Amino acid sequence: MAEVAVVPGQPQSAAPPVRKGPRGEVVIYATWCKGCHICVEFCPPKVLEMGPSDNHPKVVHPEKCTACHFCDTHCPDLAIVVRKLE
Amino acid sequence: MSEHILEAHTLEEHEALIPQANWFERSETLQKLRKNKKFPTIWCSGCGIGVVMGALIRAIDHLGLKNDDVALVAGIGCTARMPVYMDFNTLHTTHGRALAFATGLKIARPDMKVIAIMGDGDALAIGGNHFIHAARRNLGITALVVNNAIYGMTGGQYSPTTPVGGKATTAPYGNVEPPFPVCELAIAAGATYVARSTVYHALELDKFLAEAIAKDGFSLVEAVSYCHTTYGRLNKLGTAADMMRALKDNTIAKPTFDKLSAEEQAANTKIVRGNFVNIERPQYTNVYSNLITRVQGGEK
Repeated sequence: MAEVAVVPGQPQSAAPPVRKGPRGEVVIYATWCKGCHICVEFCPPKVLEMGPSDNHPKVVHPEKCTACHFCDTHCPDLAIVVRKLE
Repeated sequence: MSEHILEAHTLEEHEALIPQANWFERSETLQKLRKNKKFPTIWCSGCGIGVVMGALIRAIDHLGLKNDDVALVAGIGCTARMPVYMDFNTLHTTHGRALAFATGLKIARPDMKVIAIMGDGDALAIGGNHFIHAARRNLGITALVVNNAIYGMTGGQYSPTTPVGGKATTAPYGNVEPPFPVCELAIAAGATYVARSTVYHALELDKFLAEAIAKDGFSLVEAVSYCHTTYGRLNKLGTAADMMRALKDNTIAKPTFDKLSAEEQAANTKIVRGNFVNIERPQYTNVYSNLITRVQGGEK
């Protein structure tokens, strides 16, 4: 297990959690993604947004993720992995 | 296995390389993907079949089955491309004959968990005969029917599950044939486990698939999906995300449906999702091996 390609976004865990509850970390494999917008439209706390030029989503608000696993269970291309943070 | 997936995942310049420990090992889904297969998948952007594939992998993972103990049998079509991407025993057969090949496989190897993956046209039009007879015999097969109401791969012809009034390339003024109710057909034919869910309710689909695979008998799971590139475009139903939202709004859970009055149930136009049948009947391979034992023992 060497290195994993990650869409450049803001540094993960930069800001402390703003509210209680579980936190998550999202990784998007951009070359597997086909840009169907499902994760962006359904994400409850709006963590993801489509990139301005690239046809794949970006993690714009990593601190808002609650590890609900909607995006990784509903990604048709299995291009998202969500990890629950301790 | 993770190194193989990483090799298939070609890097692009705009991707930053950040060392992250054990990402692939933590993902149950990615662990069971085929090692050296080219990704992304062939399905259109946003197609629900990929969600069903993830649900099937999670269900098998939940049951703790080994990869060698599971056999996936598929026919022809968009849905039947699914086993190509998964790391189990797979059998890619002729159109509609997935259940026929699965019958032979199950009788030869009764210890194996055989899952027949079919689309709606594959299971009910071309393979309709095999479908009802596999249910009648109560073979220990799991039939996963992904119902997207159209023949997607061949260009959007109407299928046996296209709703009345739905437009297709071979029904440009709307379909006039009533659709097959997949679950009711399987119940009438004698299936022992019948459940229906949608790709929006992916975790429910996980649960039903796990129960269906664990069941010793013919089990059917209907996964209601969508085809936004042909059916959605012809019927102006919007993007993949819009059609997935429509699945959320136009379905009703079975406990809620059962509480409705008889008039409301008759007037219901929403898709009912839930577990319809879970009964016990003698499974075909058990009956057959008992027969072999009895006849070889010299009894009549």
